[in-house]
Amino acid sequence: MDRRAFVKSTLLGGPGLVFQVDQGVPAQVSLPQPPPIEVHGGAGVKATPLSMPGLYPGRVVEVSAPQAIQSNRVSQPVVARMIERGLKELTEEKSLCAAWSKFVQATDVVGIKINPSGAPACCSSPEIIREIIRGLECVGVPKQNIVVWDRYAYEIDIGGYQSLLPPGVEIVGIEAGVGDVSGYDLNIYCEANFFGEWETRSYMADVAAHRVTKLINVPTTKDHSASGVTGCLKNLGYGTFNNVARSHRAPYSFTNPLIGLMCSAEPLRSKAVLHIMDGMRLVWHGGPLTQIGDFIEQVGTVFIGTDPVALDTMELQAVESKRRQKGVPSVWEHNPKSITTSNDEFFRDPSKNLFYRQPGHIQAADKLGLGISDLKRIDHRIVETG
Amino acid sequence: MRPELNQSTAICDWVTLLHDAARTGGLGLRSTHAPSRVRWQLRIGRSIRGAPVLGGETLYLASIEGTLYAVDVTVGRASWIFQGSGRAHSTPSICGPKVLFGCDDGKVYAIDHASGKKLWAASTQGEVWTSLVTRNGVGYFGCADTNFYAVDLETGTVQWKTPLGGKIYSTAYVAETQLYVGCGDGRLYSLDRANGRVLWSAQTGEAIDSSPAVAGDRVVVGSEDFYVYALDARTGAVRWKHATGLGIASSPAVSHGVAVVGSKDGYLYAIDIQSGELYWRVQAGEVVTAPPVFGQEVVCVQAAGLVAFEITTGKMVWKAGLGGAVQSAPVLSGNLIYLSSQDGEVYALE
Repeated sequence: MDRRAFVKSTLLGGPGLVFQVDQGVPAQVSLPQPPPIEVHGGAGVKATPLSMPGLYPGRVVEVSAPQAIQSNRVSQPVVARMIERGLKELTEEKSLCAAWSKFVQATDVVGIKINPSGAPACCSSPEIIREIIRGLECVGVPKQNIVVWDRYAYEIDIGGYQSLLPPGVEIVGIEAGVGDVSGYDLNIYCEANFFGEWETRSYMADVAAHRVTKLINVPTTKDHSASGVTGCLKNLGYGTFNNVARSHRAPYSFTNPLIGLMCSAEPLRSKAVLHIMDGMRLVWHGGPLTQIGDFIEQVGTVFIGTDPVALDTMELQAVESKRRQKGVPSVWEHNPKSITTSNDEFFRDPSKNLFYRQPGHIQAADKLGLGISDLKRIDHRIVETG
Repeated sequence: MRPELNQSTAICDWVTLLHDAARTGGLGLRSTHAPSRVRWQLRIGRSIRGAPVLGGETLYLASIEGTLYAVDVTVGRASWIFQGSGRAHSTPSICGPKVLFGCDDGKVYAIDHASGKKLWAASTQGEVWTSLVTRNGVGYFGCADTNFYAVDLETGTVQWKTPLGGKIYSTAYVAETQLYVGCGDGRLYSLDRANGRVLWSAQTGEAIDSSPAVAGDRVVVGSEDFYVYALDARTGAVRWKHATGLGIASSPAVSHGVAVVGSKDGYLYAIDIQSGELYWRVQAGEVVTAPPVFGQEVVCVQAAGLVAFEITTGKMVWKAGLGGAVQSAPVLSGNLIYLSSQDGEVYALE
């Protein structure tokens, strides 16, 4: 691969990063190169040991419990045991509270970045969010200092998080309607012109930039029609910056490298200290929005780690494995015959896709220092619990 | 000329979400036909989560930005707007000359229907997504601050409030002596209407966003635990429950001895209220969170668009690809259908 990155000063005077990348995999068609992307992060943020890839680079704890989801309902007690077992394994601490205290203190304001996209069929399980809230309270974070958030208020409403999460916890949908930019910091942004769009900037959400001091990321386990998979990096980057759909216009996608670059922007990079990937359900086709049960496996897994790249690498393995099992093409497939312009055909035929998917954003994030994508270097710990 | 609404709040009863158990908005069971054209379309430009309600020739609806619109249905234009102080998810209700709605910042407003002027505002400590329901001059509503409130409709003064075990996103049903409301703690509560004392509560497996409907001695409600429940209205004993494929945020509509409710699995379920027998189940969209509304021979629901089903068979009789909704419901008004969409459009279909 021939990636190069360099830092340059920007007109605003703050640190900026311009990134250029090739598509990363042997293409079966000639795909356009992404344009240069400028990253204007927040000023004055210093990386800490908790900054991504965090305290445990390359470590992924996969906790499985087949009885965690039955008849499509997630079991609260089983999830509680899974989170506890996984966090103890990750941190090698003996108690759950000690494990949580590796990442947060009582004085923190903690954001929980959910993924309600795809609700209600596959979204961050309220049962997992409740256990995270319990863990934060265990180290002394009051409910009033916990903010559960995502960009789209509408999707949060469909998921029903307001009533499903405990009183006192604030639930924030940043955008009440289309084009609502009032919840974003106009000084922290990524800029690129992908397809001649009129708005070439994507801004970071205020809640991530200013409101919270720590961030727990709770993505889901899904394929994604443009980026190959959703997961830690995409939930964080595309769920924190606005105006991101412009990065993919059928059949082309520049989610690689934009997703990784967004995650590298401060203060997002430093605040995202822990990732708990919801693998209760695994979407192997039609992601991120499908509601078709045929493409959603009830798996009962949680992936836990501080390294989003390692976690997404394992997620990609899981999605690819399921797709092989189902006899459908890899998410790396770049055969023009696999492309359809019909949404209906895409949603019903798992051999078809709307875009040439670009899961190379995971390796691009590795190059940016956000984590480890080399399977040989990933410390994958599999734990089963009852 | 604007038709006069009932001027007395003392005799207005708006006892549940969309006025009555059939969710007709007080219009009764109207004959409804497949719409063939749009008479007018009004672009609010802001998402609309709740349902519109019709009073005389004015349609009232709240946008997510907290703006209450009064739309003159003869021309399809706003005759006045009132700006609340927070976002709004609440479906308005009407009591005499007052239009009532809640905001996310905890305020509940009574607005004069003719002028759009604020008559009073009551304050709470949490989001008010529910509708105010009214009976004998008292307004009742639940709040995300976990309290259930009763307020004087003339002044907005709190008469009593009762703390429940969780956040309240369910609109109450107010019967003669008691009221029923779902709660985030998974319980359906029955409260004494006079003083707010808890008479009984019944546990389900997950939060209840759904607004109960009452038919005879049965209270019907959906739960996020995937089940539709029928409870004994006097004791809270479970008479039957019926499984759906996902959680239920939709509120049941009741008429003809049948309860019809949507599930997040995308289906509508029609269930015999007495026996719990499933009459029919039909796919209405990918996700159904809005309440169904009964017409004379059809039941309508908004999902990705507006769909009408024959009550007796569940057969789809017509569909309009307009009105994608979270909690909105159509106003079935004789030859016209009014509906709002989550992307900020209001339509009059004929």
